[in-house]
Amino acid sequence: MDRNYHVFSDGRLERSDDTLRLVPEDGDDKKYIPIENAEAFFLHGQIDFNTRLMSFLNDRTVALHVFGWEDYYSGSVMPKRGQTSGKTVVNQVRAYEDSQHRRQLAAAIVRGSIHNMRTNAVYYNGRDHDLDDVIEDLEAAAARVDEELPVDELLGTEATAKKAYYRSFNEILPREFQLTQREYNPPPNEINSLISFGNSLVYANCVSAIRATALDPTISYLHEPGERRYSLSLDLADLFKPVLADRVLFRLVNRNQISETDFETELGSCLLNESGRKTYTKEFEETLERTVEHPALNRKVSYQYLMRLEAYKLKKHLLTGEEYDPFQRWW
Amino acid sequence: MTDTDPVDRLLATARGEPVDEPFRVTGVMMQYYHVCKRELWFESRDLEIDRENPTVVRGTRVDDTAYSDKRENLNLGMISLDLLDDGRVVEVKPSSTLTEPAEMQLSYYLWYLDRVADIERDGVLAHPRERSREPVELTDERAEEVEMAIRGIHNIVSQSSPPPAEEKPFCDSCAYHDFCWC
Repeated sequence: MDRNYHVFSDGRLERSDDTLRLVPEDGDDKKYIPIENAEAFFLHGQIDFNTRLMSFLNDRTVALHVFGWEDYYSGSVMPKRGQTSGKTVVNQVRAYEDSQHRRQLAAAIVRGSIHNMRTNAVYYNGRDHDLDDVIEDLEAAAARVDEELPVDELLGTEATAKKAYYRSFNEILPREFQLTQREYNPPPNEINSLISFGNSLVYANCVSAIRATALDPTISYLHEPGERRYSLSLDLADLFKPVLADRVLFRLVNRNQISETDFETELGSCLLNESGRKTYTKEFEETLERTVEHPALNRKVSYQYLMRLEAYKLKKHLLTGEEYDPFQRWW
Repeated sequence: MTDTDPVDRLLATARGEPVDEPFRVTGVMMQYYHVCKRELWFESRDLEIDRENPTVVRGTRVDDTAYSDKRENLNLGMISLDLLDDGRVVEVKPSSTLTEPAEMQLSYYLWYLDRVADIERDGVLAHPRERSREPVELTDERAEEVEMAIRGIHNIVSQSSPPPAEEKPFCDSCAYHDFCWC
């Protein structure tokens, strides 16, 4: 699977013959980046680029994910589609319009999402943390997931599960990283800012995965379409946040690889600084490259490719009527 | 749904006659019908294949580079074929595995030329990398097989869902592999 590149410095990204060059603003320490195996660029700094670069990235089907003020995800510049499929979009919309079908898909996503939260809780429960009551609450929430429920109740069930799940953070993490409440826009403390940053990376990776199919990223089932920019990406990201973002967070904080010096605190907001973001993205990218034996494909696939497969699964379901079985961590 | 024979519908569509439900079969559909019916169903629904798949890249490259000096392309409605300069229809394949599907694809071209354009031609199945060629002729028996296959294709693509996945020796190299099995 191709890899992501993160650019934190300010400067200029440009085409140089048949590869890419990053020219930092404050010097002539130019860096060449191999484009052959690039999946996407994540731009966290202030980057200039021109149309020549855009055409080049377009030819190589490489995406740019742009992070703006305070490192919020602000948008993507995607390569133009190689192929489009009207049929796919028509079926996507039909499934949304058919309220029973929509509820069925929304319920599947919530089921998968709760399962993946529970897997994390079970893992840490077995490592000297007492999370029995969290697991119990998650199981109770999972038992309430029903395709007959209206979508807003399914969303509510997921929110309840998430609340229970976030209690486990306090048990798993040291005292300085207590999550009293999940808040964002802006995150008020270290732990909230870590969750937000991780979630935005999962989200952007799902945008890339969806783009690799002809699915329309704005037509979604659990979240309301167009609620935010790419709501289908929000749907899929819910399945992967526990596996990707949360596990990276637990690992980094518990190993003291992230500490209070990795944050910038301002009035009412707390955000990762550049060194914190570098540490986080390095661990995150390594996690994306981890592989696991896939029981149906009979080969090892990377965590990153699991997101691509999820988009395939959804598309296959929409086009063939074959059952959509949400991603649930099996290892 | 009309009850007319799919073969007649295909011919009427190809000749540009008014048809209630036009029916088209491409060469690649004829090939897939003999390779994997699930793949055929996917193809009929415009499912994009993985263009970066090594087998696809190889096939495209062999087709683009072989016989570039002596071929001309003939586009005839639903089929697009290559003619050698001696007038024979050539179908280029990277290797001689899965010969029968390739023969059927070529037979379909010959059948189509004969029935739609009233042109009789012989065909050549070419494996430039193996430096081998195999003549393909449209016998009555072959023509009958082609028509049976057209009806079979019609039957598959009219289903609302694809035939279930079946493990085959060449699944691993298929461009739909992950989509099919995930």
